[in-house]
Amino acid sequence: MTAPAIVQPATARRKEGFTPFEAFVFALVVALLAIAIVGPFFAPDSVYNSDIANSLMPPSAANWFGTDDQGRDVFWRLIVGAQTTLLSAFLVVTLYSLIGVTIATVAAAGPRWLDEGLMRITDIGLALPGMIVALGFAAAMGASLRSAVIAMAITGWPITARMLRGIMRQTMEQPFVAGAQVLGVSKWRLMTKHVLPNSLDVLIVKWAGDIGTTVLVLASLSFIGVGAQPPSAEWGATIAAARGYVSTAWWTVVAPGAAVAITSIAFGLLGDIIQVRRDPSLRGN
Amino acid sequence: MLAFRAYSWFLGRRLGLTLLTLWGLASLVFLMIKLMPGDEAQMAAGADASAAQIEAVRERLGLDAPVIMQYLSFLGRLLRGDLGTSIVTLQPVLADLEKVLPSTLELVFIAMLLNLAVAIPTGIVAAYRQGGIFDTTSRITAVMLGGMPAFWLALVLQYVLGSVWRVVPISGQQGYGMNSPVISGAPTLDALIAGNLAGFFDALHHIILPAAVLAALFATQIFRTLRAALLGVLRSDFIMAVRAKGATARHMLVRHALPNSLNPVLTLSGTQAGAMIGSAVLVETVFARQGIGAYMFNAVAQKDAFAVLGSVMFIGTVVCLVNLIVDILQLLVDPRIRAAQLGSQSQ
Amino acid sequence: MPDQSTLTPVRPPLVTVDKLTVDMPLGRSGASVRIVDGVDFIVGVGERVALVGESGSGKSLTARALMRLDRLAKLSGRVDFDGTDLLKLSDRDMGKLRGSSIAMVFQDPMSFLDPLMTIGDQVAETLRIRGIGKVEARKRALSVLDELGVDRAAERLDSYPHEFSGGMRQRVVLAMALVGEPRLLIADEPTTALDVRVQDQVLDLLDDVSTRRGLAVLFITHDLGVVAGFAERVMVMYSGRIVEDGEVGSVFARPSHPYTQGLIKAVPRIDQDLATLYAIPGAPPPPLARPSGCPFHPRCDQRFDRCDRELPALLPIGRTRVACHLHDGKGD
Repeated sequence: MTAPAIVQPATARRKEGFTPFEAFVFALVVALLAIAIVGPFFAPDSVYNSDIANSLMPPSAANWFGTDDQGRDVFWRLIVGAQTTLLSAFLVVTLYSLIGVTIATVAAAGPRWLDEGLMRITDIGLALPGMIVALGFAAAMGASLRSAVIAMAITGWPITARMLRGIMRQTMEQPFVAGAQVLGVSKWRLMTKHVLPNSLDVLIVKWAGDIGTTVLVLASLSFIGVGAQPPSAEWGATIAAARGYVSTAWWTVVAPGAAVAITSIAFGLLGDIIQVRRDPSLRGN
Repeated sequence: MLAFRAYSWFLGRRLGLTLLTLWGLASLVFLMIKLMPGDEAQMAAGADASAAQIEAVRERLGLDAPVIMQYLSFLGRLLRGDLGTSIVTLQPVLADLEKVLPSTLELVFIAMLLNLAVAIPTGIVAAYRQGGIFDTTSRITAVMLGGMPAFWLALVLQYVLGSVWRVVPISGQQGYGMNSPVISGAPTLDALIAGNLAGFFDALHHIILPAAVLAALFATQIFRTLRAALLGVLRSDFIMAVRAKGATARHMLVRHALPNSLNPVLTLSGTQAGAMIGSAVLVETVFARQGIGAYMFNAVAQKDAFAVLGSVMFIGTVVCLVNLIVDILQLLVDPRIRAAQLGSQSQ
Repeated sequence: MPDQSTLTPVRPPLVTVDKLTVDMPLGRSGASVRIVDGVDFIVGVGERVALVGESGSGKSLTARALMRLDRLAKLSGRVDFDGTDLLKLSDRDMGKLRGSSIAMVFQDPMSFLDPLMTIGDQVAETLRIRGIGKVEARKRALSVLDELGVDRAAERLDSYPHEFSGGMRQRVVLAMALVGEPRLLIADEPTTALDVRVQDQVLDLLDDVSTRRGLAVLFITHDLGVVAGFAERVMVMYSGRIVEDGEVGSVFARPSHPYTQGLIKAVPRIDQDLATLYAIPGAPPPPLARPSGCPFHPRCDQRFDRCDRELPALLPIGRTRVACHLHDGKGD
């Protein structure tokens, strides 16, 4: 009798399902999105009004995360702020991803000199410290959430552009592209039907992860004072406003910061998970 | 000699790129100035300047000339080191920044040391015992730390460690009565130079938490990169050959695995040096330290437009120069980066 | 205990392997697959044994198991080296034996040398690990390199691996193994990556060195020509088990196991006049899907009904051991 070839563990391995960890991250992201989109509808009006008498109260049954220096419920302010923060982050990343894709496509498909020129500009963009430049733009345009969003969109595209152009060039060097061109397929069609879809994979992974970092940077800019201004409920602005009360009313600082952290981590993990699922060789990282 | 030609060509290219970047930065800053709402001359002259004074400023800055001329004269001013004048301190921005630059550099330096001192050993152990408790824990920690806003972490730690536990000072760079003569502007360095040992330790005490917070985010990147590189190297054949010689795990890790994994780590830490300078603003403000970041923050708070833009130019330039220096250093230190960059093959 | 009567005369055993199995992990779930399925053999002092098989037969794993080089592998059985069971040693104690009692050379010298270290340092390293001083270690490294025919060895001690040719690197790797004066050298396909001329040189070297030092060599290869030129005894492995084990001369002239027969038939000969080259039909089974009974039976043209039911044991016939039902219980 032959000995069994495989030594089986007690639990069998699922092939195509999600691991509990992945499911958790997905659920978290969906929850955050849901909160951002519909949360504010449920917020009581008191979130927008001051109630000084009630200010800086610790967490209680009435106010789950306590109240801030204006007497507003911290929990509901977080929910409202979620919309501002997350949707702004989405806007920023989508904007600069679009810019990046466009530039990458033009560079990859166009003549050599255009490619070189665009890449020089991208190099300059890459060499500059993004946050500082965004800070400058936001300050110059007048500190506001809108300025911060525009500033971050302007400074965020170089990384995406360079990454995508690299992939596009690689794809274009594949034999099947040359083959298609010989058959008379127009360059435009080639780009849209073959090269772009290949890059979409990488773009999506980056897009998801970038939401996470953008939430961080946006909050940082607001904290410094060039992004959302008080009384905006944007999380960074909230922390800035609560800064002085960290010793007396820690919940005003900890809550929004934790929100930023959780959101940033969740989206970052989402990006990682998507990446591993598409390319299992990266497991273990 | 071939090597010399390759070196100088590389240096030339690198310098060229730096100059190009600085030019790009300057142009962006000019754009920022033009974007500002309101009358530029009025902002330069100050809030309560008379109409005549405003006109004088307009004249001096050549704000009536066509944009191209303004651009060129702006570039000219930059080259002369004129970054504008702060409305608040009434000093040239460059002078203000130069005074506080050493403090930032000191912070970044110590943060970098902490970063590598923590991230590298952690990465080694995590990679060697892949899948073990230490590995999982450190990876989770890295993910958590990486997602936290630096300024929030700073605030929280400042509160917990400074106010509650009173382990470190809350803010500032030196305790009362510990003032050392200001030689370089960097408190620890100054204390050392002045021979003030107590002051030196005091300054260190003040810098440790800010540096740790600044290092935290970057440490997660180093950790991740090193761990990934090590995992790859540990799987490679020559490591098995080393074990076949009877090497202990430690010997194998330190003398063989690590040196072969350091390449990406070195490159990354080079990039981080510049990025840290940019991120210093967040930490300096929370801990009320002096530095170019803090200066910029205050300028924003006080709506000191030219100081802000001057800071952008200055900080951007510093970052570019640091990157350049790091690139050159890497070239000198690692023969393989040298080969890759210079395109030389030593077969 | 494996039957010692098959050994070439008057050789005390150096390594005795008894029912060795090697399991390698499969994915992250904890399952593992048995690659080496119970091997027994003996390598005598100063004896030259070849271990032959196709890729996937488990020969490399077996060799590495003797030195416990695969951290992930799960081993069971007994490997007796000079009275000590190697499988029961701690990794640390095993480390003390590696390089000094048992040494290994590998297939592709470039990937087995640290690109960042001079070859002098790497050869000397085996000794430095043992605490021998720098100067002494360097001296011995030099002498071994000389012995192996590396000219101008003294100058080249401070060169890097990428500055050497393939044949030279293989000598360096050999030097790394020999400098510790081991009693057993395991050579894992040392000639596969080399061209024929260099192959010859390396084999000559090995021949020379092993004779001079009384070194036992376990030579892993899939190249029968090399076996014939170098080994005294050959063991044939198939699908994780040894199927034939005997003196090179007899095994090659009168192979007993159908697999061995097929292997020898497949070697092209200059005096043959064939339209096509012979190849054993089929392919070796993947470890996860071993056939029942004798693992070779699906490809065997001499199989009969017992072959798919019962695993044949490795039994002696004369001075050879064979694992085949055809020879079960028969004497010679």
